[in-house]
Amino acid sequence: MNLKTTLAVLLLAASFTSCSKKDGESTPDDPGNFIVAVTPAAQTGAADYLLTASSLDTGKISTAGNGVEQDGTYRYYVTHNDKFFSMLYGQGNPGAVTVYDIQGGKLNKLTNFQSETVQAFAPVKDDILMFKISRNMASPTSTWYKVNTKSLLITGEGAVNTLALSGNGELAHFSWIKQVGEKVFAPYFSINGNGFNTNYPDEASIAIFNYADMKVEKVIKDTRTSFIGRYFMDGLSVAENGDVYAFSSSVATTGGQLSSTKPSAITRIKAGTSEFDQGYYFDVEAASGGMNITNWTYLGNNIYMVNSSAKAEKGAYVVGTTVAIVDVAAKTYRKVSGLPNTAEIKVLTTNNYTPKDGRTGYLGVNLKDGTGAVYRIDASTATATKGLKVEGGTITAIQHLR
Amino acid sequence: MQIKQFLLVAALCAISFFAKAQSPGNLSGILKSKSGEPLPALTVKLLNTSFLTVSDNSGVFLIKNLTPGRYTLLVSGIGFKAAQKPVTINAGKETAVSFVMEEEGITMDAVTVTGRSVVQEANRQAFNITAVDAKQLYNSTLDLAGALDRVAGIRVRESGGVGSNFNLSLNGFSGSHIRYFIDGIPMDGFGSSFQINNIPINAAERLEVYKGVVPIWLGSDALGGAINIITGNNHRNYIDVSYSYGSFNTHRSVLNAAVTSKKGLTFQLSAFQNYSDNNYRVKVDAADINTGAYAPGVFLPRFHDTYHNETLIGSVGFIKKKFADKLLIGMTVGSNYKEIQTGARMVSVFGAWHRRGNILMPTFKYKKDNLVKGLDLTINANYNLGTETNIDTMSVRYDWFGNSKPNGTSGERSRSLYRYKNNNGLATAMLNYRIGERQSIALSDVFNTFDRKGADRVNPATVDQPRKTQKNVLGLGYTYNAEDQWSASVFGKYITQRNVLSSAGAKASTNKLGYGIAATYFLSPVLQLKASYELTNRMPEAIEIFGDVENQEGNPNLQPERSKNVNLGLSYNFAVSPDDKFIVNANGIYRHSDNFIYNRLNNNQSRLVADNREGVRTLGGDAEIRYSHKRWFSAGATFTYQYLQNMQQYEPGYLGESPLYLDQMPNIPYMFGNADASVSLPNIGGKGNNLNIGYNLLYVHQFYLYWPSRGGDKLDIPQQLSHDLNVVYSLRNGRYNIGLESRNITNTLLYDNFSLQKPGRGFYVNLRYFFNK
Repeated sequence: MNLKTTLAVLLLAASFTSCSKKDGESTPDDPGNFIVAVTPAAQTGAADYLLTASSLDTGKISTAGNGVEQDGTYRYYVTHNDKFFSMLYGQGNPGAVTVYDIQGGKLNKLTNFQSETVQAFAPVKDDILMFKISRNMASPTSTWYKVNTKSLLITGEGAVNTLALSGNGELAHFSWIKQVGEKVFAPYFSINGNGFNTNYPDEASIAIFNYADMKVEKVIKDTRTSFIGRYFMDGLSVAENGDVYAFSSSVATTGGQLSSTKPSAITRIKAGTSEFDQGYYFDVEAASGGMNITNWTYLGNNIYMVNSSAKAEKGAYVVGTTVAIVDVAAKTYRKVSGLPNTAEIKVLTTNNYTPKDGRTGYLGVNLKDGTGAVYRIDASTATATKGLKVEGGTITAIQHLR
Repeated sequence: MQIKQFLLVAALCAISFFAKAQSPGNLSGILKSKSGEPLPALTVKLLNTSFLTVSDNSGVFLIKNLTPGRYTLLVSGIGFKAAQKPVTINAGKETAVSFVMEEEGITMDAVTVTGRSVVQEANRQAFNITAVDAKQLYNSTLDLAGALDRVAGIRVRESGGVGSNFNLSLNGFSGSHIRYFIDGIPMDGFGSSFQINNIPINAAERLEVYKGVVPIWLGSDALGGAINIITGNNHRNYIDVSYSYGSFNTHRSVLNAAVTSKKGLTFQLSAFQNYSDNNYRVKVDAADINTGAYAPGVFLPRFHDTYHNETLIGSVGFIKKKFADKLLIGMTVGSNYKEIQTGARMVSVFGAWHRRGNILMPTFKYKKDNLVKGLDLTINANYNLGTETNIDTMSVRYDWFGNSKPNGTSGERSRSLYRYKNNNGLATAMLNYRIGERQSIALSDVFNTFDRKGADRVNPATVDQPRKTQKNVLGLGYTYNAEDQWSASVFGKYITQRNVLSSAGAKASTNKLGYGIAATYFLSPVLQLKASYELTNRMPEAIEIFGDVENQEGNPNLQPERSKNVNLGLSYNFAVSPDDKFIVNANGIYRHSDNFIYNRLNNNQSRLVADNREGVRTLGGDAEIRYSHKRWFSAGATFTYQYLQNMQQYEPGYLGESPLYLDQMPNIPYMFGNADASVSLPNIGGKGNNLNIGYNLLYVHQFYLYWPSRGGDKLDIPQQLSHDLNVVYSLRNGRYNIGLESRNITNTLLYDNFSLQKPGRGFYVNLRYFFNK
C-alpha cells in the first residue's frame, strides 16, 4: 500500500478544520458622539459592547467586529461632565468603574479603578456620588463614595446607618439618588431583611442629605403613594423651575406578594421646599386605565416618556412595554403609537437619551426576533419613528457625550 | 492512635482469615539476545492462562502463584521472533528458565533496540491513548498537572502558582468532561488536599491519557476523555525521597516507600508536602483603594497567595497471595491551607480570605485475577470524611498594593465561616472475563455519592440547603483482540443520577444510556490505525451543581451533556538509519455535543459558573513527532488545533437567529504546542553516573476572553511562549540525583483561565534518593 498517501490523507483529516462561519455583510464602525451599549445575548456571560453612532435617527451599527468590549454584562452607565462612566455591578465583590471620553468620535479609556459595588449612583455637582446599600439587618451600615469627574479620584467617603434612618425597624434601601439644588434627595423603600419585603407598603419616603458633607438633614414621608422609584430605577426628576416630581410604581411586597393598596401615581415637591406638595397628586392608574409606571425619562417642559405595564403584568422588576407620554402639568397619559406590537417586544431599554427639548426622546427597542433599533419618540404627537438600527444584541443604554 | 489500631486489627483479621492458603509455585526467567544482552520489555505469557508479564530492564521476569502443572511459555515482542517453551511448575518451588531470542528480519531492524515498554504497550490498545512515562520526570519538580501539560492535545490551565485551581482541556473538552483515576479508581471527591496539581510526579509510574472514548473498565461517565494515573509500584521494597526548593519560597518533599515480606504482607507509605508563598509579580492595572488613583500596567507581587498541603497515604495488606493479588486497607490523611488572592478575574483582589481543609479517607482495594478461570475481580471503595472551611471574616477591601480599608461589615466577598463536609463516597466493582485468548467481557459498576452538609458560625440564621447528588454508572463491554493485527471493543453505559437541590425538596432524577465502538488495526507492525465512535453522556458534577464555595458558583439547573464523538488516530514508527528513529502520532476528532457544559464568568464576573450551550461542534486534530538518536539524544514536538463552534441557533427568549450562532467558543485555547529536547550523557564523572540536560517549550496561541465575532476593541489572552531548562545529574545508577530547573527562563508573562497570570521566571533545585531491593 502507498504509505505516504495514507499518511498524508490522515494527517489532513486530523488537522481539518471547519471555517464555515457565516460571512454576512459587515457593518462598518460609525464614529460619533452617541454611545449605544449592547449586550450580544442574555444569559451567556457575554460582554457588553460600547458602540458609537453619529446619529440616532438613521443608519445601522453592529457588534460584529465593532465596539469597545466591557468586562461583563452587569454594567450600568452614566454620563457627566463629558465623561462616560461604565460601572460593574459585582455584588459582594469590588465593583469596577471604567471611564471614557470621546475623541474624534471614538471612545478613549481614561481610568479603570475598583471601588465597592454600588446600588445607586448619580451626578452631583462635579462628582459621581455612589451608594453601597446594606440589605443585612445585622450590619446596617451603608457607605457612600464621591468620585470627582475631573480628577477621577475618590475625594470623599462616609457611612449612614440605614436602619436608624428609617426609624421603623426596617432598612432604608435607596432606590436612587438625585441632586436637588444644594441637596441630595434619596428616595428609599423599606426592607425587613427577608428579601425586599416590607411591612410598610403604603408610604413614600425620601432622605434628604446636605452636600458635600452628606449629613442627613431630614426624612420626608407621604402616605398617598407607595415608595418612589424602584430597585436601581430613578423615580425623581427635577423640572426646569426646580420642582421635583416623583413617581411610584406601587410595587412594594410583603411576604413576596404585591401589597400596596395605593395606585401608581406621581407626586411633587415644590422648588425650594422640602415637603411633599399635598396640593399635587396625579393618579396615573386612573388616568391610564390601570397602567403603572415602571420607569421614565424626563424630556423637559413637564413632559415624560414613560414605560408602563398593565395591572396583570405588574411586578417589582418588570420593565413595562407600553410606552406613553405623561404631562405632569396637564396630568395626561397618552400611549405612543408607531412602536412594534408589545407582543413582539423582548425588552425596552431603560437608560435612554433625550436632548431635553420637551418633545424628543430616544428609546431602545429590542424585539424577540433578535433585532433592535433606536426609536425617536415625538411627544407632541405621541408617535414613534424607527431610527438607528442596532444589530447583534440587546440595547442596554443610549447616551451622548460632547 | 485510633487509625493505627484500626489498620492493625484489619490486617490481623485478614491474616488469620486467609492463613490456610496452600503454597503454589513460581516461574522466573531471563531473556537475552544472541549477543548476550539482556532484553527488556518483551511480553511473557503462559498460554491458555491469564498470566502475562513483561521483562524488566535486566531482561528478567517473574510469574508467581502458579498452580502446579505443565504450561507453555510464549515470549514475544517487536523485533524478535516469538519463542515457545514447555515448563513444569512444582508446588512451593520456583522454576527458572532462560531464553535466547532471535531477532527478526530486515524490516524490523528499525525498532529492534527499542523493544516496547509498558508505556508503548498501553499505546497499542484500540482506545486512543497517550501514555506518559512518569519515571523519566522523577528528578523534576513537576506535579502531575505539569507532566500532563506536555502531552499532545492537552492544555492544563492553572489559575496561578502552587496549589491554584486547575482546569485541564483535552481535545476541546475541559473541566469535568475529563475524569481522573488513580489505578482505575475515580478521583471524584478526593477533596482539595489530593488533586493532580498537588500530587508530585514521583507518586506515579505512568500517566495514561484516554482521548475520547474511555474503556469500560474505567467505568465512569467521562465524555471527553480520562486520565488514569498508574502508581504501579513494581518494587516490593523501596524508598524514594526527594526534596526541592526554589523561587517564591517553594518547598516540596516527597517520600514513597514500601516494605513487603516474603509472605506478601506489605506496608506502603506515600507522603508529600507542598509549600509556596506564590509571591510572584504580576502585571496589573492597579488603583489605590483610598484615592482611586489609577496605575495601569504596574508589576506588583501577589501578597495573599500562600498555599501549603501535607498528605500521607498509608496502606497495609497483602500482594500476590492466593486469596488476592492485592488486598489493601489504607488511609489518606492530609490538610491544606490556601489563601485566595483574586476572584475569577484579577481585578477583584482579596487580602485575607482563605480556606482550610483536611482529608481523612479510608480506602479499600481488592484485586483477584482468575477467581474462577479467566475471571478477574476488582473492588475499590473509599469515603472522604474531610472537612473544609471557607474563612472570610475581615470586613475590608484590598487593592493590589496590599492597602486596605474597612468596607462595612460584609466580609471581603461575603462574610463567612462556613465549615462543611462534602461526604464523598465511592464504590467500584469490576469483573473481567476472558474467553480464550482473544475475547473478553467486562462488567463494571461505579457508585458515587456527595452530600454537602455544613454550618456557618457567623451566619447562624442561614439555613444550610440540602446539596446531595448520587450517581451510578453501569457499564458492559466486549473486546476481541487479535494481537498485533486488530482489536475491537463494543460497550454500553447506563447512568443514573439523583439530585436533591433544595429544602423545598426539589429533586431531579436522570437516566441516560450511551454506547460506542472502538477498533484498531495494524497495517503493519509499525503502522497502527485507530477509530472509535461513541454516543456518550456526562452528568453534571457535584461542584458544578453546588459550587465550590470559592470561585465556582453552583448551577442547580445544569443539564446532562450528550455528545457524539468520532476519533481517528494513526501511529507510525520508522527509522532513517539504525540510530535515527521516529515515532509519529496523529489524531483527528469530531464531536457534536448537546447541552455542552462549559465554564463561563457569572454576570458579575466574580466567579465562574458552569452552563449549558445547546450545541457545540468540535473539529480538531493533534499531532506528535518524536525523534531519537542512539540512546543519548531525543527530541519531540506536539501540536494541537481545535475549533469549537457554537451551534446554538437561538438564545432563550428570542425567536431570531443568535448573533453568536456559529461563533467560535470564547476563552478556550484552540492552538497550542510543545517542543522538547534532551541529551543524556552516560558515565560522566564515573561509571553509573548520568547527566541529563533537557529543554521544554510551551506555546499557546492568543485567544479571546469573550465571543470572537463581537466587538472591535477586545479583551484577549495574549500569545504565550515559555522555555524551561533542566539539568539532572544522577549518581550510582540513579540512587542519588541532583536536579536544577529553570522555568519560564525568559520571564515572559504567562496567562491562563480568564487572563489570570502565572509565575514568571523561577529556579528550583531538587534532591532525590532512590533505593530498592
